[in-house]
Parts: sequence; structure tokens; C-alpha cells
Amino acid sequence: MATVTTSTPDWSGRRSTLASIRLAVLTFLADPQWLIPSMIAPIVFGFVSYELFLGSPDLVVYVILGAGMMSMWGQTLYGSGWATGQDRNLGTLEPTLSAPTPYLFVVLGRILWNVVSGLIGIALVFVVVVAVSGTVPSIDNPLAFTVLFLFTMFTLAAVGTVFAAAYVYTRYAGFIQNVGEFAFYIGTGCMFPVIILPFWTNPIALFFPPSWALDALRYAAIPGYVGFSWGLGWDVVGGIGTTVAYLLIAGVVFRRVERHVLEVGNLQEY
Amino acid sequence: MTSAPAIEARGITRVFQSRKGFFYQDVTRTEALRGVDLTVETGEIFGLLGPNGAGKTTLVKILTTLLLPTSGTARVLGLDVTKETEALRARIGLVLGGERGLYNRISARENLRYFADLYGVPYAEREKRVNEVLAWVGLTEAADRRTEEYSRGMKQKLHIARGILHRPEVLFLDEPTIGLDPKSARETRKLIRSLIGQGVTIFLTTHYMFEAEELCHRIGVLSRGRLAALDTVAGLRQLVGGDRTIEAEDYGFEDSELAAVKRLPGVSKVVSEEYGPVTRLTIRVRTGDLSVEEVGRSLIGHGGLAVRERRTSLEDVYLDLVEEETN
Repeated sequence: MATVTTSTPDWSGRRSTLASIRLAVLTFLADPQWLIPSMIAPIVFGFVSYELFLGSPDLVVYVILGAGMMSMWGQTLYGSGWATGQDRNLGTLEPTLSAPTPYLFVVLGRILWNVVSGLIGIALVFVVVVAVSGTVPSIDNPLAFTVLFLFTMFTLAAVGTVFAAAYVYTRYAGFIQNVGEFAFYIGTGCMFPVIILPFWTNPIALFFPPSWALDALRYAAIPGYVGFSWGLGWDVVGGIGTTVAYLLIAGVVFRRVERHVLEVGNLQEY
Repeated sequence: MTSAPAIEARGITRVFQSRKGFFYQDVTRTEALRGVDLTVETGEIFGLLGPNGAGKTTLVKILTTLLLPTSGTARVLGLDVTKETEALRARIGLVLGGERGLYNRISARENLRYFADLYGVPYAEREKRVNEVLAWVGLTEAADRRTEEYSRGMKQKLHIARGILHRPEVLFLDEPTIGLDPKSARETRKLIRSLIGQGVTIFLTTHYMFEAEELCHRIGVLSRGRLAALDTVAGLRQLVGGDRTIEAEDYGFEDSELAAVKRLPGVSKVVSEEYGPVTRLTIRVRTGDLSVEEVGRSLIGHGGLAVRERRTSLEDVYLDLVEEETN
């Protein structure tokens, strides 16, 4: 081997995020258990929501959005946090954190990959629901729908980033997330609109960016949809506002969490 | 060696708090490090010895920015380990021993590519560098196998490959041969030795005395969070009473006989230990004046007496120092 000499480091957030995406893809391909959340669960969600919305005038759109977003939510949140939990289990959290790259960029890569694999889930839901119902859904405003769909994924990723910090913070994060998962499914309107839930739940839902984005998405997709009374425009504003807040929180939380784990020295615990 | 030290630690303490009870009301404080001062020169191989729980790994983690000290300061390559972490992490390497620390479902090559990206190995050099370190640790043939199929020794080599991938100026090796079979351990030591010629400063923790003696320029002995001694092997031998050790064995010795041996010229220390019915006197000799025959003569009347001389080993030094610290 050549003599060990120093070379100018060439790390960047973008490169680390890409490396993290690559690792996530390789792990996905190497590990068949991922078929359950990314392929099998969406199909199950599809059938369940089909039964749930049977009789609704916009059955197909409701079903696809409901089951698809459940799948996205699971992939983004569960997958992003789980990967950090896996880092703890494998003992790779320490070598990863000892690299010069801030861990946030690694998490970001995982979230982006989970968003992509969540999209595969949505595509599966679409195929299943169209096959079962024999109807191809019509979207009220396809352009707005596409933009808002991407925006919704972004809001999920923002929440996923904050959740991932919990996995760095403590080995018990998985337990907390498992307990809260279904409350989030329902409370943020993944399965059905928040507006049909008891009124007291609505203000709580508004603390989460996907609640705004999903309501906006339904406004764009379903003609005559009645969601939050302020309508699509304010949904978008609220979604952007809460997403920005979450990203800022994530930045602060990650810095604090990284500092905290160095103070308590629990990185090796699993 | 240049005058600027590679590692400089002053008054490092580290207290761990653990909480127990239903409401986590019981707080236990454990002092893992209690005022450690040390300096490691550039290009040196520094060994840190100590029993389990002495604080070796804690010190390594503090010096590699993975843990904050409770008090004290430490600089590695002139950078503060608590404040200039990003800049420092790019210039140091860390090898933690053991089965964990690798992505098991992917190949060794992919593991290295991933960490090369995180450590900022220049992209154009990445493949060359990965191939280079794989060849250096002898894993080229197995490079594309999943690491879950690797033996413990192979994993350890991969840990070392990852540690040097970004060409660190200081490499921290935390018990790199623990749990390895003798052949793998020897190969690992060979790899470490070959780094010496490449200008890397090495900070090594180990339980194995011969490993430290074989590899290290200077050795620190950490016991109960304190640096009990820090010197060259020769210096440490003098510290515990001398380079020569004479051992005398028989079925019991009188106190008066022990006192007589202690009065012999050059004797710095006499330790009596019982091994079943046999008592062994370990006599540390500071000078070359005292011979085995003289010791034999001072214990006259012991028909079955066996007396032999050996060089004071690092293990003797270590045990003496740890015992002193414990007492």
C-alpha cells in the first residue's frame, strides 16, 4: 500500500445523502423483509380502505389516497427511524457519527429513499384498486394534484426527519413510535379526512404538516370535497409553514441530540 | 518526530450517570476517568493498557469526539475534541474491535464505498483507495461477499481497512485483536506494524502485554480511571523495581527468610504468592549485582528449592502497577 498521506477531504452533504440513498437501496435489495412494508402492506391497506369507503361517490380516489398515504406514512416514518435503530443494533451508529458528515445528511438520504419506495406502494395500491373496482379514477385538477402529491411527500419526510432524531436520542424510540403510529395515521388524515374526526382532534392534527397537505391534496383530487373550511389555498400555506417549522426543528433537534448522545455516551446501546 | 504532539490530554475526567427505579429516581455515578494527562508524539505508537473497566475505551471515545469529557481538555492534531469535531473527524481514524460495526447484508466493498463517501475520500480516488485497502488487509478475494459471511478475523481486518481508508494522520485502535485466533491476531499486528512506517500516529488499547511490548514505543497503564504510569517498557520495568526478576519456589518460607532476601543487595521488591502447597518468591532486582546463586545461598536449608532468573515482563509491570493503584 502507498504511504499514508493526508488528502483534502471531499465530503459534502449532497455526497453523503447520495451515499445514504445507495446504502438504503442495497440494504433494501438484500433484505426481503422490506417486501412487507413496501409491497404487501399497501395491498392490504388497499383492500381495507376499499371496504371502508364502499358507497362513497369518489370511492377510487379516496381508496388510493387513503391506502397510498398509509403506505407512504409507514415507509417514511417507520423506515427512516427504523434505519437509525438498525444502526444502533449493528453498531454502525458510532462509526457513522465519527465521520465528518453531520448525521442529518445520512438520515435525509434514507428518508428520500423511503419516499421513493413509498411511491412504489402507492403504485401498487393504484393497480389493486383499479383492478378490484374496474374504474380508472379521474382527478379534478391533475396539475395541482401532482404538485401537492410531491408536497405531501415532502411534509412526510419533514416529520420523518424529526422522528429519526428520536432514534439517535434513545434506543427506546421504536417503542414510542409503535405506540403513536396509528394515532398519526388517523389523526393526520392519511386514511380519511381529518374533518370527519371529532372536532377536538382537529387543532392537534394541525401541528402536523401532512394534515394540511393531505387536505389540500383531496381538494385537488375530489370534486366537491369538503375539508377544512379555509380551503385549498390556506391548506398550502399551513402546510408550507408547518413543514418549514419541522425542518428548522429537525436541524436544531439533530444538533442537540448529537450533542446529548456525546454527553451521555449511549451511542453503543441497543 | 516533530515537536507538535499528535494527542494532548489534560485533566480528563468522565463521569457516567445511570438511573434505575420505576421513576429513574436512583442515580448512580461512575467515575470512568479521573484526571488523565497524556501526550502522544507525532509518529508514535502509544499503547494504553488497563484491566476491564479501567476507562480505556472511554478515553478513546473522548479523543475521537464520540464522547464529551466531564472536565478537562483534549486536543488531537491541535484540534479541540469537543469544539472542532468536524475538522478533526476527517483527519483521524477509529477502529473499534468486535463483531459489530459493519453493515452485514452488504459486501465489504460496499461498506468501504459508503464510509469513503462519508469521510470525503476524493471521489475520483474512491475505487482505487477501496481496492488498495482491501488488498492491504488481504480481503480482495472476499471483497464482494456479504460481511455477515465473514469470520471474526476478517471482520476485524475490514474494520482496520475502514479505519485507514481516508488516510488518517492518527489512528485509534481499541483492542484490535481481542477475540481473534492467534493467526488472525498475528496478521492484525503485522498490519498495525506496517502502518508505523507510513507516518501514522497510533493510539492502541489492548489487554495483551506482548502486543503492547511488541508494537508500542511508550505505554500508559490505566487503572481505575487514573494513569498509573506512562513510560517506555524499559522505563516501566525500572518503575516497578528493576529489569531482572528472580523467582524462588519451595514449600513455604519463614518471615525471617523473606526479610533476609529483602536485605540482599539490589533487591527492590519481594512478593510472596502461594500456588497450592508451593510458595513462590518473586524478587525484583534493580542492579546486576545479585545472582541466582546468592539468592539460593540466602535460602539455605530448603532442599527442594528451585531458583531461576528471567527478565521482568511487561505483565509483571502491569500487575504491579494495577495492584498498587488498587491498594
